[in-house]
Amino acid sequence: MKIKRHNAAIRFTHWVTAASIFILLFTGFGQMPIYKRYYVDQIPGLAWSSDFLITLYIHYLAAIVLTFISVFYITYLIYSRAWDVFPRRGDFKESIQIFASMLGLAPEPENDKYLAEQRLAFAVTACSIIALIFTGILKVYKNIPGVHFSETTIFWLAQIHNLFTVVLLLSIIIHLLAFLIKDNRPLVASMFSGWIDREYVIHRHRKWWHRLTDASDLESASSSTNASGDEALV
Amino acid sequence: MAITRRSFLKRAAVSSLAAASIATGVGKAAAQVSPNGSLAMLHDLNKCDGCELQDTPQCVLACRTKNAVNFPQPQQPIKDYWPQPKHEDWSKKQHITNRLTPYNWTYVQNLEVEHEGQKIKVHVPRKCMHCDNPPCSKLCPFGVNDKTVEGPVVIDTNGCFGGAKCRDVCPWHIPQRQAGVGLYLDVAPDYAGGGVMYKCDMCYDLVKQGREPACVSACPRGAIKFGPQEELRQYALDWAKENDGYVYGVDENGGTANFYISRIPFDTINDAIMEQDFDGKNGRVGMPVNIENSMNEPGNMLSGFLLAPLAGVLAAGISTYQIMKGGSDDEDKTA
Repeated sequence: MKIKRHNAAIRFTHWVTAASIFILLFTGFGQMPIYKRYYVDQIPGLAWSSDFLITLYIHYLAAIVLTFISVFYITYLIYSRAWDVFPRRGDFKESIQIFASMLGLAPEPENDKYLAEQRLAFAVTACSIIALIFTGILKVYKNIPGVHFSETTIFWLAQIHNLFTVVLLLSIIIHLLAFLIKDNRPLVASMFSGWIDREYVIHRHRKWWHRLTDASDLESASSSTNASGDEALV
Repeated sequence: MAITRRSFLKRAAVSSLAAASIATGVGKAAAQVSPNGSLAMLHDLNKCDGCELQDTPQCVLACRTKNAVNFPQPQQPIKDYWPQPKHEDWSKKQHITNRLTPYNWTYVQNLEVEHEGQKIKVHVPRKCMHCDNPPCSKLCPFGVNDKTVEGPVVIDTNGCFGGAKCRDVCPWHIPQRQAGVGLYLDVAPDYAGGGVMYKCDMCYDLVKQGREPACVSACPRGAIKFGPQEELRQYALDWAKENDGYVYGVDENGGTANFYISRIPFDTINDAIMEQDFDGKNGRVGMPVNIENSMNEPGNMLSGFLLAPLAGVLAAGISTYQIMKGGSDDEDKTA
């Protein structure tokens, strides 16, 4: 028996975000003169990587995609009231307990659909992306012929954009390193298919499992009283 | 959790408004400085004789003297830009005055061109064009190269990492690099950065005091004028109209603050520069006519950034509406 963890909208968001951020990181680092210096442009197929205007153009295209998908996701969350991924009170303490459990120092806490550390990592990643989009759009506007910002504005836009790039890069590295932990690996397949084994949910996401079983109880109760069901969305 | 159709539409309306205000508010959040009222230089090639009887033109000498305090003093030994087996060091070639270097921010190109069947000598003082929309400033990755309100484009030598991107994106490849000096030495000198970029700053310190650049004061023939950009632009255009002459720097790269007027077409001058032992390396500067500003094309993409949030709201609306209508893609269900 399987449980739907991520629907198509969420999987679409995840992979479009991942692809656009990968392109943005590559072309963004290409805004510094490193690909020529480090012979990256000598790699077959990457001769364009040291052309600042080509990488800027691709950076803009990928940024438009990231802006689209971010607004799509935020709007989707608001419409569907899917707040499970947002941090809650006590998540920091619970994350420490999860890390302690990995070292065998404490029992793993009962997890909801997302682990406390996942919710915190989500907040850091999301805030970085929002900061990057806002500073990025201002940088795009600043680059238009005829627009002039003050020296201080230009300086801080560049510094904040660069700083959050580093924060985002670190959060992505940590996100990928999480899959070194065996317990997390079934989640990878669910990011493609959307489905996850019921046994895994019962074992690792007991709180979520309780919510699911409670909800299905409620749903069966409500469907017996409201036959049309067209007002309800779970 | 249940969503009614009414609450769905209400939330859709609120979030669309929010997205639209974010999209349109971008322009208002930015403090715009009008380039009007900025200053410029005008070079009259009909007057400049390149100080032919002297070893070095007076404008070049004045520039070198005035800016000597700003010249780089690199720490020796200077390391290569690993893994490249090279670095750019002009400290032992400071005497060079016939091209741009970190120690020579202006030079005079002496040419002989053929015009209307006659051989004519032309002398062209070269330096930063101080563009209205300088790609070097717009694309500096550290935001330390500024188009000032007064007109000069100024590199902050304390913040410059010496990647030389400004030189690559400048249509004339004006800024020049000196290794072994600057911020990069304090970070990771073996692996990142390459020194500091140097170029004419139109004597920004003097300009801020209401004085004129050193080259302007030094010219013995009054061939370099300094003044309000609009006035000099109009002067150049009027002169060209009245004298069947030519103007350079008004349209090039979307407009500059460094104009040239001449009775010889600038195409002819550019051809002569290219023919004259032009090695194609940086530091010697061509004069191609009607250069497009490289920022025009990416600038056209702003509408994409404004439409993206609206498209995002619309797509999310469609997606959740389908789920609401009883689509089979609900999360948290079992199968």
